[in-house]
Amino acid sequence: MSIRWKWIIPALLVMFSTAAIVSRKTAAAAPPATETKAPAASAQGGTLSIPDTTIAINSPTPMSQRVVHYEIDAKYDASKHAVNADEVLTYHNLTGQALDHFPFHLYQNAFQPQSTFVRESKLEGSRDTSYNKWESKEYGSENIKSIEVVGQGDLTKNLQYIAPDDGNKDDKTVVDLHLAKPIPAGAFVQFKIAFQTNFPETQARSGWKRDFLLGGQWFPKVGVWWHGAWNCHQYHATTEFFADFGVYDVKLTVPQYEVIGASGVEVSSVNNSDGTKTVTYHGDDIHDFAWTVSPRYKVREATYQAQMGPVKLRFLMQPAHWDQAERHERITRETLDHFEKWYGPYPYKTLTVVDPEPDSAAGGMEYPTFITGDTSWFMPQGLHLPELVVEHEFGHQYWYGMVATNEFEDAWMDEGINSYTEVKVLDSILGKNTSVLNLGGATVSEREEQRDSYLSVAEMDPMAENAYNYYSFNSYGGVTYGKTASVLLTLEGIIGQDTMDKAMHAYFMKYRFTHPTKEDFLKTIEETAGKDLHWYFNQAVYGSQVMDYEVSQAESFPANWYEDKKDKKAEKNAKDDTVYQTYVALHRKGDFTMPVEVEIKFSNGEKVREHWDGQSRWIRYSYQKKAKVVSAELDPDHTVQIDRNNFNNSYVVEPNTKPTYKLNNYWMFLTQWCGQALSWWAI
Amino acid sequence: MTEKKNLLGNGLGMVTHNKRYIVWFWLLSIALAAIGTVGLRESAHTILDHSLYAEKLTHGFDLSVYIELLIRPEFGPMMTTTLPAVYSAVVFFLAMALFLPGIIAGYASTYRLPREDFFRACGRNLWRFIRILIISGIVMGIVAGILFGINGAVAKKAGESTNEVLPFELRMIGLGVIFLIMTTLRIWFDLAETDTVLNDQKAVRKSIAAGFRHTFRGLGRLLGSYIVAAIVAVILLWAGLWIWSHAVSPESILGAFAVGQLTLLLLLIPRFWQRGVAVSYWKQYMVAPVVPVQPMAQVTPTPVTPEPPPVSPTPTPAPTA
Repeated sequence: MSIRWKWIIPALLVMFSTAAIVSRKTAAAAPPATETKAPAASAQGGTLSIPDTTIAINSPTPMSQRVVHYEIDAKYDASKHAVNADEVLTYHNLTGQALDHFPFHLYQNAFQPQSTFVRESKLEGSRDTSYNKWESKEYGSENIKSIEVVGQGDLTKNLQYIAPDDGNKDDKTVVDLHLAKPIPAGAFVQFKIAFQTNFPETQARSGWKRDFLLGGQWFPKVGVWWHGAWNCHQYHATTEFFADFGVYDVKLTVPQYEVIGASGVEVSSVNNSDGTKTVTYHGDDIHDFAWTVSPRYKVREATYQAQMGPVKLRFLMQPAHWDQAERHERITRETLDHFEKWYGPYPYKTLTVVDPEPDSAAGGMEYPTFITGDTSWFMPQGLHLPELVVEHEFGHQYWYGMVATNEFEDAWMDEGINSYTEVKVLDSILGKNTSVLNLGGATVSEREEQRDSYLSVAEMDPMAENAYNYYSFNSYGGVTYGKTASVLLTLEGIIGQDTMDKAMHAYFMKYRFTHPTKEDFLKTIEETAGKDLHWYFNQAVYGSQVMDYEVSQAESFPANWYEDKKDKKAEKNAKDDTVYQTYVALHRKGDFTMPVEVEIKFSNGEKVREHWDGQSRWIRYSYQKKAKVVSAELDPDHTVQIDRNNFNNSYVVEPNTKPTYKLNNYWMFLTQWCGQALSWWAI
Repeated sequence: MTEKKNLLGNGLGMVTHNKRYIVWFWLLSIALAAIGTVGLRESAHTILDHSLYAEKLTHGFDLSVYIELLIRPEFGPMMTTTLPAVYSAVVFFLAMALFLPGIIAGYASTYRLPREDFFRACGRNLWRFIRILIISGIVMGIVAGILFGINGAVAKKAGESTNEVLPFELRMIGLGVIFLIMTTLRIWFDLAETDTVLNDQKAVRKSIAAGFRHTFRGLGRLLGSYIVAAIVAVILLWAGLWIWSHAVSPESILGAFAVGQLTLLLLLIPRFWQRGVAVSYWKQYMVAPVVPVQPMAQVTPTPVTPEPPPVSPTPTPAPTA
């Protein structure tokens, strides 16, 4: 790099940052903007720019540093589940250095038998498909027919598939384009791409089922320049996505009978003479674009008054779920309320909630301003699965959509932080103990469900691990979702709930529309709490240590036990005055160390709390009182969510057999009923 | 001409006159279940009895805590702890098979069947019942396999439809059809078992053949009666579970035990009722006809003085309990 550029790039960056900060600060006072463009010099000498439109956001100025502008004109062939499209990608080189190659994601190529995605899914399991037997309908593809770089001509021949993660030569999910001339720092470059995407039957929340389609990860998408290098991972069984913010203008031509939904706002809809219609969408400050069609969607629309302006809510429901549309709307509104109040404003003008085709692998997915729920025609009111999914996916509008972390490398930062806020929001809306199930006397809370998912894989992987490097799909799920939620809930107990709430709010407001790292998140918490929390993060986030503290002993005996008790009557009279020697021992069984509290209850009603730093393997407390120990309980305020065994966290001296006999009733009933059923039919 | 009795009423009468059989089997099922769940109980005692966390199971029923209990290593592998419970269910079934001949004999009897007669019937028909059990198992297994296969295939095909509820509806309809067909087969072998015991039939194939003929001869009455009993069973189960979950306090162990066991006790009645229906049918339609004695020819009738009616060949019925 020449000396001239070394001076110019920092100067440009300073100017740009200052402009961004100033524009953000003055955003509230500025009048609403219309569609305008900020021209800049292109690498080819022409005038290219990224639009600074605000059509799709309730903000007068752009909210992100816009790097990309995608203009896609796509025609959907419903009979073949295929898209033929022309894509114009304008890229603003803000990397601070010249770029001579650009990697692109071609995600739909993951659905091929020799891809890394399918290999990993077959080996380690995946959410949707086991790939026991390869079927042609599972095949997907994304083929760049031609690619032209404006000013450099057709460079299709320069395309080369690369496999930066595992070297799999048969994986075609990343393609690299070497340019004839590098793109200088600060310049724009425009790619004109013709591509065809053939969707598979739904896998990994993309594809078709019957006449439904969820178009996710369907177009060639450029990688992210991050920390001085291109970040463009292959598609793995456990990974999601990572992309730059920008503007999307997408024209979708589909059959007229289709009901359509997509990211962003609908700009126009025109019926064509050939029985198709072209619907145009525009998205601002988003980093992906998804869409869906089905002829059977029933549409419910509503408006939510958010802090920054009205949000149009659109629910695309399956006919058999129409009676649940109100449930979907209610949980969406309540979740929006909580997120706006706790974390920050929702700036987009739309939110589309899709109820995908039954039996499809399209449920429970997030795209910017566009989420899919997951329900069934039979869904009792006490079973809160639709609420759980809609809340979770909406949460991703914040933890992925706006705080756009790297889902390949830090999956816990979107899925895990989102699972944590999911617990908080659902606790508040549906009750702390009943947020998942409240039916027939049985309850399940999301808090405990997250913990249970962690317990099964507690020591397998740390949170701070590339999503594609987890031991298995279960470990990925249990750690990124369950462990992160449990770790953050436990952190609440360490720094206090109010401090944690402030930290989460600060984190969102500071890092929205950016790509923060795990260090950014952890540092925000430490700064807000004013505490050094490395001891906790090193074990909980970067380590795979497992916590298990137990009350290993709680017993009392008369201090004068050795004296001869000949006079029983006198002994009885003196009973109340007996002094007891009490011992309570705590034991650290795991390798995770943490300060713990224990509450000891005595027979006279007295309660004693002890604080133990938890460093040594065990500690024993002794007391002499005119009362016997009744119980000892670790973590009496129930703030620790990562202890592997909650049963041994307390010890009650007098056994309580009620829980066992209650379970025994169920087991006996089931056994007897099975015997009767067998006899009914077999003899 | 003999007056035909209502099968359901007559069958239920047999059950009510022999309530002790149901009580015995209920007690047996409790004993077997208590033994079968010892492992589960002991494991749970070890983990739960001294833990405050276990109270989440007492006040309400937190499924997460229950799952956590099951995955604790000290609880033991699920297979190991639940296998005895499965065995106890199988033992109950075998006991039912062993004592069924006595029950059938008891139902057919117009008096309280003495204990030795009960056990004699059980012993005498043991090997015959084993043979019927094997044959019925083969027949019902094959038919059930085919029917469930078809049902699954239909539901899968329906899954391609855009009507989400259709697979479920077809599966339910299919299950209804399977229930009717399997109940018909059950009637067949119930009649065969009844015939074997009451006819003292050594060649079970003859009883099976007779059962087959009569199943279709009296299908309407028999199937109707069996379905009524099955519906009663479903209602009893639903009512029992509803009362258990709605009317019994979550903390009440005794209340839950009482409601659960009462439900199981009552649930035994419908199947015994079906047995009563089979015995009633056998007595009315399958019993070997008595050939009337032909009057001797050319015998001059001589007036005789009327005598008191003859004493019944069967012993005087003992008062029922």
